[in-house]
Amino acid sequence: MKANNTLMRADRSASLLWRRHICDKLATGLSWLGMLIVVFMLGSILWTLFKNGLAGMSVHLFTMSMAAPGQPGGLANAIVGSLIQTGLAILIGAPAGLMTGIYLAEYGTTSRMARIVRFVSDMLLSAPSILIGLFIYMMLVVPFGHFSGLSGAVALAILAMPIVVRTTEDMLRLVPVAMREAGIALGAPKWRVILFICVRAVRAGIMTGVLLAVARVAGETAPLLFTSLGNSEWSLDLGRPMASLPVAIYQYAGSAYQDWMQQAWTGALLVTLGVLIINIVVRVGTRGGRS
Amino acid sequence: MSIEVPVKTAGMTQPDTAAPAKEAPHPVAMQVKGLNFYYGTSHALHDISLDFPERSVTGMIGPSGCGKSTLLRVLNRMYDLYPGQRATGEVIFDKQNILNSGVDLNVLRSRIGMVFQKPTPFPMSIYDNIAFGIRLHERVSRSEMDGRVEDALRRVALWPEVQDRLSASATALSGGQQQRLCIARTIAVRPEVILLDEPTSALDPVSTARIEELLDELKTEFTIAIVTHNMQQAARCADQVAFFYMGRLIEVDSTARMFTTPREQQTQDYITGRFG
Repeated sequence: MKANNTLMRADRSASLLWRRHICDKLATGLSWLGMLIVVFMLGSILWTLFKNGLAGMSVHLFTMSMAAPGQPGGLANAIVGSLIQTGLAILIGAPAGLMTGIYLAEYGTTSRMARIVRFVSDMLLSAPSILIGLFIYMMLVVPFGHFSGLSGAVALAILAMPIVVRTTEDMLRLVPVAMREAGIALGAPKWRVILFICVRAVRAGIMTGVLLAVARVAGETAPLLFTSLGNSEWSLDLGRPMASLPVAIYQYAGSAYQDWMQQAWTGALLVTLGVLIINIVVRVGTRGGRS
Repeated sequence: MSIEVPVKTAGMTQPDTAAPAKEAPHPVAMQVKGLNFYYGTSHALHDISLDFPERSVTGMIGPSGCGKSTLLRVLNRMYDLYPGQRATGEVIFDKQNILNSGVDLNVLRSRIGMVFQKPTPFPMSIYDNIAFGIRLHERVSRSEMDGRVEDALRRVALWPEVQDRLSASATALSGGQQQRLCIARTIAVRPEVILLDEPTSALDPVSTARIEELLDELKTEFTIAIVTHNMQQAARCADQVAFFYMGRLIEVDSTARMFTTPREQQTQDYITGRFG
């Protein structure tokens, strides 16, 4: 501050400098406040989850299937069900989203078709997930006459796809024109330039999108209620109802039984930890990819 | 004009390294005739006619926006990427008008390579940067590929610097190294013509000097067209110089005469720094 004052010019009034100083401090203070509120909320959620959920962590949780209240049981079938449905959803949704994103960024760009696809994709991105569940219920559950793990995975895939579409398109748009032209100038056909140069150049960013999609769908409950329904038995059959962590939490948390409620807390902790780990992997991974 | 493009003779010596290009006229590798170019409705090049002699360096100079880069991008049909850009007239290469719609652009671009203003290493290893272009056009065995990659890197004098880290990412190289890699990548495809669009404007003086030395060697084998903003660079590297202004070719002549006794007043004004 002292140094600034000695450097002050005669034509810049002291009050102007003082006002700027105040504005600077005020803006900095407000952004700190905002940051603290967000960190406090996140910390509070994590704290509550750990406090209530850690007690239920046991080997049984990972080895035994869901059981009736009072009986020894775990969440093994729900954990495996979630992994299967989320994994399958990404296997379906990520390639479809990647290809759509490539179409939007490289082929369609400003065409009418591309604008429609982009609009629909962005609508899907913000569509209530329960609507997606109902849609798949009509498409894949009603015609076959029963709930199934497969329909759950497809519902999650539809939720994952627009996230991958958006990140892929945004990332491809960041590829410098010069890099594209350099590929073309070597005599490479357009598809090769896109796949082997452009997509490669932003693969870390596209991976981020895919992992964010995983994190998003792993915690979804609503679309699964009408599709894979949930299952208290151990089942790996995609043609039959399948358990999942979010649905199990939904079912247990609403019950009146002490042991179910404990498992709901622990299940919630597991989902949160999973999503947190994915987010950390994304951060660390992309930082490594850029340097 | 009906000049036969002769087959390249290996080991043919170039008698004219010091003497002006006029003394030993080279056959024409590429001939632009009555070329007009449009960006949408804007007329960017007006009736350009220019010969590019084989195995010599043609420097293209002129103020920003004069059309020299535009002309370069016509020569490998790069403008085709952008709808709304079109060219009329003729560019004769290997007895064909390359502006014809039937020309296979991928083959054309393998024969007419291009190096850009900013180094554009691909996001892959140093080795794969070179191999990428070769794989596009030829099927070669692993050992032959190793040889081709080494040869290309040696010719741009990059081999000693990178031979121990061929599998390292090309983006980790310095700017000057990246640009030499891009030149290596271009010559690895074995083109006949190399187009350079201000290849040293993003580089420091030492890297620039290395690239200029490189051009001197490359012209014994390739026909080179270089766009440059740097008049000294044109004077040092080029055998003939073409001066462009407002989309027109004002004057073209041997480098020596262009910089000592230009015929046009505009050329005189530009090279003496009175505008541009």
